[in-house]
Amino acid sequence: MSNQRQASSASQVPHLSPAELSYLYTSLSLPKNPIRPDGRSPTQFRPLSAETTILPGTNGSARIGFADGTQAIVGVKAEVEKTVLAADTLDSRSLAQHGDALNREGEQGSAAVSGQGEWVQMSIEIPGFRDDDALPVFLSEMMRESLVGSVAGGNGDAVKEMAGGLKGRLVINKRWHWRLYIDVLLLSQPLAYPLPLLSLTTHLALLSTKLPKLKSTGEEDPFFDDDWAAAEYLYPRSNISKSLSAAPSYPVRPPVTLLVISVGDNVIFDPNREEIAVADAVLAISVTRSGDSETLKLLSIRSIDPPSRLTQPGIPNSENVNMLGATAAPGEETGGQEEVEGVWRPRRGGVKRSVIARMVKTVLGKGGVGEEVLEGLEGVEVQ
Amino acid sequence: MPLDTSTTYPLTRLRLDGRRWNELRLLQAQISTNPASSGSSYLSMGNTSIMCSVHGPAEGRRGDGGGGAAGSGHAVVEVDVNVAGFAGVDRKRRAGGSDRQSSRIATTLRSAFQSHLHTYLYPHSTISIHVSVLSADGSLLAAAINACTLALVDAGIPMPGLLCGCTSGMSGSASTPRDPRHDELDPLLDLSLPEEQELPSLTVATTTAVPVGENNMDDDEEAMKVCVLTMESKVHATYLETMLAVGIDGCSQIRELLEGVIKGSRG
Amino acid sequence: MADRRRINGPPGGTRPPVFASLQESSTGIANRAQRQRQPAELRKIFLKTGLIPTASGSSYLEFEPSVSLAAARSNPKSLIPPSSALKLACTVHGPKPLPRSAAFSPNLVLTTHVKYAPFAARKRKGHIRDASERDLGVHLETALRGAIIAERWPKSGLDITITIIEAEDDRWWGDAPDSHDASWGMMNVLAGCITAASAAIADAHIDCLDLVSGGVAALVSDDSNQSASSAPRLMLDIDPAEHRSILSACVVAYMPARDEITELWLKGDSSRAALEKDDGRTGHEALIDGAVDAARGANTVLAEAVRESIARSFA
Repeated sequence: MSNQRQASSASQVPHLSPAELSYLYTSLSLPKNPIRPDGRSPTQFRPLSAETTILPGTNGSARIGFADGTQAIVGVKAEVEKTVLAADTLDSRSLAQHGDALNREGEQGSAAVSGQGEWVQMSIEIPGFRDDDALPVFLSEMMRESLVGSVAGGNGDAVKEMAGGLKGRLVINKRWHWRLYIDVLLLSQPLAYPLPLLSLTTHLALLSTKLPKLKSTGEEDPFFDDDWAAAEYLYPRSNISKSLSAAPSYPVRPPVTLLVISVGDNVIFDPNREEIAVADAVLAISVTRSGDSETLKLLSIRSIDPPSRLTQPGIPNSENVNMLGATAAPGEETGGQEEVEGVWRPRRGGVKRSVIARMVKTVLGKGGVGEEVLEGLEGVEVQ
Repeated sequence: MPLDTSTTYPLTRLRLDGRRWNELRLLQAQISTNPASSGSSYLSMGNTSIMCSVHGPAEGRRGDGGGGAAGSGHAVVEVDVNVAGFAGVDRKRRAGGSDRQSSRIATTLRSAFQSHLHTYLYPHSTISIHVSVLSADGSLLAAAINACTLALVDAGIPMPGLLCGCTSGMSGSASTPRDPRHDELDPLLDLSLPEEQELPSLTVATTTAVPVGENNMDDDEEAMKVCVLTMESKVHATYLETMLAVGIDGCSQIRELLEGVIKGSRG
Repeated sequence: MADRRRINGPPGGTRPPVFASLQESSTGIANRAQRQRQPAELRKIFLKTGLIPTASGSSYLEFEPSVSLAAARSNPKSLIPPSSALKLACTVHGPKPLPRSAAFSPNLVLTTHVKYAPFAARKRKGHIRDASERDLGVHLETALRGAIIAERWPKSGLDITITIIEAEDDRWWGDAPDSHDASWGMMNVLAGCITAASAAIADAHIDCLDLVSGGVAALVSDDSNQSASSAPRLMLDIDPAEHRSILSACVVAYMPARDEITELWLKGDSSRAALEKDDGRTGHEALIDGAVDAARGANTVLAEAVRESIARSFA
């Protein structure tokens, strides 16, 4: 029970002793070049293997496996649904159009209706957790919010299709829309905070998602082309790719959520379970590439409860009864506030604004980690 | 194409997916797919695909210790079946986390492997099996049994022989008694989802002890045992024997395939 | 299969009819609440501790209702109130020993529950906590855990329960849900939860590093003219019902004495913020700074409420 409670916030507290935590913290907070347990550089990701379109029964699917054996599978399914305006809302525009003749519908078409975030549903299954436990709920809300929040900027033909972002793309016409179910399956107990794995897998699954080609026009009840080969990608691709590179280019891409921790003065990406255990601050930062512009756009930031707050403190020699002998009773209250070199203290307090700014900058900056990750994902061949 | 196999089958002698009555679907399998677990496997039979991972034998969780079973001299097999939301044709909306179908499969798997494995070698420990159904197209239980067997072999848990499952059904109106003069009904092997929904079917799983020493040349049939047999549809008693024979035959075909997978991964 | 034997009412509840003519006319437009405050001006906060005697600590928090609400009350044009203001109650139980079955914990184990009353929002909420309520609970836990000195209560648990009596709207009630879609009201609710929980924890005499308070800032695009060219402006403590379009919002939990943020939740497009020419900050930095300013404002109220709480306990 209590194990589950603690797991709800960030991830399970690893069973590291205070001495191990202190050693890890010291090596990760070395100025300029932190030493990570697995020898990676601060911005380096763990190696992973990825494949897409693995499940014929879904509209889009992907699998990513990290080298440590954690795997995630994402399946995307789309269903046609009738658009219902909720009873307690009232769209003055649609009322006005009802007042008018209904013949304007052809020209305005779907542009008049923008999508709703509720049309994208996300569920995450993690072995050992129930659906309504805090961790799956928190993770799915975090990924869904950046997904539905992303709105394409810029212009260009393909971008026009994605005007209004993902939820705009789901509109068929004024009365019908697609509902997107994104089911995320983690195949093993999470060894680290599973956010980067789930986010990257979802990204690839959405890129490979196809919707059947619409044959009806305007406001009639939708019907679709039976030919699956004619289906269109949910995230449109531009054909004018550079002649040498076979990989298609995407004017609009789904967002990715990156996990960033700060330890001392260092900013470290894709932390594993031990590294996250000593983090001063943990942020989940969602970014996407906006339209035709080169820069990355920030979609959301969420702070995540660092598990270092739950760890057991170390006892300095000055307070240790065994070191002093039985005569020195722990009579005086040392308060336990002051830091002793090499003795682990659970992190208290929050994070300075300058640290947050630095973490975001490392993600967003030109040639930063965000670009690197998106480029890496582009290398994955999406059929 | 009409979904009703019972009407088209007598005319063409081919099933919906073009198989003859005694043909299995394409079976592909892989073991050691997930390095994070003790043993794992991926198995697909036609469009049914399943991933299975085994953890253990390991010390059971502390909270379960009171449950008597963990304190006994045998390992306890725990099975957890999860049918993904995107597995079926329509996306399934689930309220509680597990539905009736998956919990029934889990119960059957648990009792089958609890008695099949040499659990006495691991007292006070737990073998937990996690089955994820990625895509469901009939014969779920049989595919799950095969996937679990592969994963358990990968985990190196001793068992007397491979436990292989298969489904068989009966075409046509099998609720009337058999007519020996013009017997037009055929049994069918390895049913897909549309067939499973329309026709009476059963799932059977068998095992044989691995032949050793001078028994090497003996016929498999000698040592074959039925471990799982479930049937939840109505069929006239006269057909049952045929269906069972076809199912058991299918199990030994699958055994050869699985043995090939296991031997192939060694090389 | 639908029940054909009787005629059931609509499942989603009903609203009094509103006619298109009312929407079109000038009186209808006037129904929409307008922000009367300066961009950096906060709403007044009512915060009182110790209202629930059975709990070890408790607090009640209320935001000042919008001016338009009072206007609509005195001169009703429509039966529907134009805006709502946050009201919530927070109780703290503990520190108390962990149950026998729980594993050893060297620290105080914090549990947070955030629950909307069924009548809190315009759409009825069920009695079972839904995803957004669980999400709020996790945010609140993150915010408070950084402030509490948890190692002083090993093997103990602390339960924080927040009941939201009236929630903020996500948008003006007349707007379709697509006009600005995200649940912006939730951010105000979270800020209120943080401030109220902080007061209740202080009321329960739990040791903290500092009083942590919540603040919200948002980028809203100009109300009066809808052209896309008008740059969005930074406003503190927004009431979503008063704005046509919110581009981005941010809520922080902030400890002024240490100048540290324990919880940060930012979402939306913050890249088009209109800042001063010589302002080197990017959009999201400006948003975070704005939210911190709002939290500083809330902190003065919080400090006063805690002072009252102390005075009462020594009286």
